Amino acid sequence: MLVRTAIGTRWISVAMLLLLSGCAQTIPEPVERPLDLVGDVPLVRATQISTQDSLLEVGVQIFGTEFKEEEYEIGDWVFDEIIQKETQFLPHLLKNTLVDSNHWGAVRVIPESDPSLDLIVQGEIIQSDGQTLELRIRAVDSSGREWLDRVYADQSVQEEYPESTRFTLDNTFDAANFVDPFQDIYDRIANDLLAVRGSLGEQELAELNLVTDMLYARDLSPESFDDVLKRDDEGRLVLQGIPARDDPMMARVADMKYRHHLFIDTVDEYYQTLYDDIQPAYVLWRRYSIDQLAEVESSRREANQSDYGNSSGFLSLSQRYDRFKWSKIFEREFSDLAAGFNNELAPAFLELNSQVHGLTGTMEQQYREWRGILRRLFELESGEIGADASE
Amino acid sequence: MAHITENRTASRRTRYLAGAISLLLSAAAFTQDSLPQLDFDLPLRLDFSGSWEKDFRRSDNWEDELTRTLRVRQEASARQQSSPGSSRIPSVPPISVGNVNLPRSRGRGASIVDLARLAEYISRQNTIEITQTRDEIRINRSGEADLVCGVEYELQRTFSSAHGVEVCGWDGQQLIFQIMLPDDLTIMHRFTVSSNQQVLNLLTTVYSKNSEPFNLRLAFNKYEAPRDEFNCIQTLSRGQVCNQSGADLSTQLEDL
Repeated sequence: MLVRTAIGTRWISVAMLLLLSGCAQTIPEPVERPLDLVGDVPLVRATQISTQDSLLEVGVQIFGTEFKEEEYEIGDWVFDEIIQKETQFLPHLLKNTLVDSNHWGAVRVIPESDPSLDLIVQGEIIQSDGQTLELRIRAVDSSGREWLDRVYADQSVQEEYPESTRFTLDNTFDAANFVDPFQDIYDRIANDLLAVRGSLGEQELAELNLVTDMLYARDLSPESFDDVLKRDDEGRLVLQGIPARDDPMMARVADMKYRHHLFIDTVDEYYQTLYDDIQPAYVLWRRYSIDQLAEVESSRREANQSDYGNSSGFLSLSQRYDRFKWSKIFEREFSDLAAGFNNELAPAFLELNSQVHGLTGTMEQQYREWRGILRRLFELESGEIGADASE
Repeated sequence: MAHITENRTASRRTRYLAGAISLLLSAAAFTQDSLPQLDFDLPLRLDFSGSWEKDFRRSDNWEDELTRTLRVRQEASARQQSSPGSSRIPSVPPISVGNVNLPRSRGRGASIVDLARLAEYISRQNTIEITQTRDEIRINRSGEADLVCGVEYELQRTFSSAHGVEVCGWDGQQLIFQIMLPDDLTIMHRFTVSSNQQVLNLLTTVYSKNSEPFNLRLAFNKYEAPRDEFNCIQTLSRGQVCNQSGADLSTQLEDL
């Protein structure tokens, strides 16, 4: 009977080995990546508003995520889904910081790059959990000049999550007095952008405004405005001439731009509403996340210190199994919380994507649809006016 | 003056046009194909889903199994002494999934008695709940974290921590989970379902280093669990939000 059992088990082993032979299952020790932390950063605020010409309009584009080639465990998609959601509302925190600094014109969160704005800030989430936030930020102005392209990282500690973040029915979240644990990262980005802007003269800023106007005009009607911009040796767009101030075509462009900005103001408000709606749950999620990371770290230390020695008695075996079991239960509970967080966010995202009356699809699709409508409108209008003029 | 008239005409026309476009857009119906797409690359698996209760008559009693194992071992040992090399029981090498970075010691493997006690310790559940979709299978045993595996052909890593690593895979239509714990302690669960889907067999194998494995077979019969009266969804800030089965939970989530 034992022979049958042993052979049976060996057969299982062979089957599993065959199963395993297809892929190298090396589970590496977690590698600590050195992070270049931003540290404590005071936001540089303007005491007085700059002149109108030097106020640049900024678009903070919805972030992307960095593709990571790492082994996935079953259920990891839940955490990917959270990062995907963060791409939609972390830009809002950067936008708020830029507004707070008082150095910029209108600052909006936008779903896609927008030719009507002077400066576009793009971001990529490299890592985001309750303890660490790492972002790659790239900022490019309408002429194509790169302002920033660097990685920012910040780490939080549990003390940065005040008691109100562990809210209950009696202890509600105090949004007004809450400071994001990663606020330093946004302050540093805002300060870096300001430093680049400071290096440009008034003339350059005024020209940048004009380039933006022409770029938007060209986006509306490439045929009419193709020759007003040209790339210089450095690949930047420079003006080839400026249409007359009373040019009716430019008046129509300004009219379209005004309408377009009304639209993106509305889109920005939706992102604001989205963030306001989900902020309490998001902060709670991050708090759970930092607690979980602390627990994992403590568990790892405990495992490293465990000396199973030569003991192979039942007590030792059952302890090994129990430690494994509880670490797994703990992680599964955290995954359930993550799924719960996604469930809780779902209605807010549904609301975001069904906001603009008459437009369909995600906010990004609605944005593209809107730009298409404006272009067609501009073509029709220009055609009619052209016909009127010829009559 | 001509410019002003021209601009006014244009402005009026633009307004009409914009109005017409928004009317057209608002009239457009929202259509979306919500039919699920079948992924034919995914293998079809037998249906393990359902509520299962232990069949004590057909399941091993761990003490009886241990006694039997010890007796067979003694007999084999006696045979080996009488004719050396004739009936040597092959030792089972531990299955390796590479460097799993778990602590190891130089000590000997655990005794068959301790392995048997461990097998009993981890197999105490009298009921099992299994849910299965086209993509994954989830095995819920009370007091344990769920065993979850996809239906793919490849070996899947399902969990890893400083305290152990769990992988799963399929051997034909049998579902296997293997747990590797520190000091080369390995636990393997093999789930098999009968073709009529009324009997579930679970073979739990425990071994340590190069010791001989201990096997414990458990049989489960399908039973009709009472239908859950509540339909629940997990949320972060309010825990489980439930309503009576059949009702739509999305409206309750919106009120959160």
